[in-house]
Amino acid sequence: MKTELLSLSDLVIGYDEPLSDPISLTVGPGEIVVILGPSGIGKTTLLRTVANLVMPLGGRSELHVEPAGGLGYIPQNLGLVRHATVAHNVALGAGVRMKWSFGMYAERRERVMKALSAVGMDHKASEPVRRLSGGQKRRVATARTLAQRPQLILADEFLSELDDINATGVMEAVFPLLAKGCSLIMVEHHEEHALKYATRVWELNDGRFSDLTVEAWKKRRMEGETE
Amino acid sequence: MKIRLFVIIGALSLLALALLSDLAGGDWGRFGDGLSDFVVFFTESMWPPDWSVLEPRTYPECESRFEFTCSIGYIGMVETLKIAFVSTILGFLGAILLSPLAARNLQSVWISIPVRILLAAVRSLPSLIWALLFVVVIGLGPLSGVLAMSFYTIGYLGKLQYETFEGMNSGPIEAGRAMGLSSRAIATNIVIPENSNHLLSQLIFMFEYNVRHGTVIGIVGAGGIGYYITNYLKFFQYEKVFALLILIFVVVIIIDLISLFARSFVNEQGDVRRPTWMNLLLKKTEEKSQADSLK
Repeated sequence: MKTELLSLSDLVIGYDEPLSDPISLTVGPGEIVVILGPSGIGKTTLLRTVANLVMPLGGRSELHVEPAGGLGYIPQNLGLVRHATVAHNVALGAGVRMKWSFGMYAERRERVMKALSAVGMDHKASEPVRRLSGGQKRRVATARTLAQRPQLILADEFLSELDDINATGVMEAVFPLLAKGCSLIMVEHHEEHALKYATRVWELNDGRFSDLTVEAWKKRRMEGETE
Repeated sequence: MKIRLFVIIGALSLLALALLSDLAGGDWGRFGDGLSDFVVFFTESMWPPDWSVLEPRTYPECESRFEFTCSIGYIGMVETLKIAFVSTILGFLGAILLSPLAARNLQSVWISIPVRILLAAVRSLPSLIWALLFVVVIGLGPLSGVLAMSFYTIGYLGKLQYETFEGMNSGPIEAGRAMGLSSRAIATNIVIPENSNHLLSQLIFMFEYNVRHGTVIGIVGAGGIGYYITNYLKFFQYEKVFALLILIFVVVIIIDLISLFARSFVNEQGDVRRPTWMNLLLKKTEEKSQADSLK
């Protein structure tokens, strides 16, 4: 049985033109990877390619997770159903890995409320998503993924639009999942926020891809600044 | 960008004018003569509307407390509304089952293309032809009308629905797909709720369309107010026809108001608390009484 959750081999990302040199790496359980780089460099494309939403220009991206519900995905626009309630959205995540049984609905409801209270949104369960603020919507998208209990989470800027307290709260809500072996790969513009939790940094810059430890990335940054 | 848009609109308008001229055979004078003929026809034959269509029929004798309910206008309109309601609901159920299969962002081309062809085939026969077919198969009466309009509704509403689904933001679908939700779960739990505003609007529009169209299919004996309109036309009773047309117009306006109200539950506009006339009047009275007490 494979221990890694994701393996990329000579993966070339992009739509028409390649956005990076070939990427080869693996991601194991319990890792927190932050993808950093300037805007428009291909961070979201990398995430979408890993989620199998974009065809790679070359190489292979393999997910070693359960096909139904093993992957949690929080896109940049969050992908919430705006006209449905908060509870409905979170239930989508909660139900995806459940097998039908008589007790399923009660269990799903319990899971939804637990996930919502973890991100402090349980009081908004019956509110339509369209009425929420940007930060609240991000917390709902996180709750949807928490309720899903995936093996790997791909999140595109899910800490943006959140103040420090809420960003910390959201990360703390994800920790129990990470402790159980789930991994998190996130694109984040707020470096200081993301680096607090990261175990690995993927940097995309001028078509070059680097897979670094947080310390190595910080060292490289400092060297770049002194030059 | 703006200039390009104006050029495109201008070119399309010129093309439409050229085609119109071609269709009219270059004889623009017909429009002027036609208009004056219509004014004469309207003032001499249609005006004033004959409201006797809202009076009870002489036979059979009216036994209702409300005599209005025995009038041609009421009986015809209620039958048309019944036909339109049943056929809209049946058509909607058929369309909502087929349209997620026809949407290219939800299904592969191997499924979506055949379903699109099926919907196009159903839609290409106008409801009048469907009505004729059903009158031949099951005879005269409202049931033929119901079946005819149900089939047409499936084709028409199905197209509106799958085009709405294809035009939606891809974010929720991608999130569902990445999560591993099945196509059925994506359609029922993401796509349909996300487009509820449009679906509701299309459903009510279709009901309104079927009410208006009930007048046409009545011509081939498929029941409804159209049956009475056809009879009055046969006997040149245009004042009565005009009265029934006004009745249809009023019903269409009422349906439009119902649509506005129903959609306010699923769109942002409904979230804005607007003052009602009642609130405004009460507030004025309240303010006045407060001012009086201060004096």
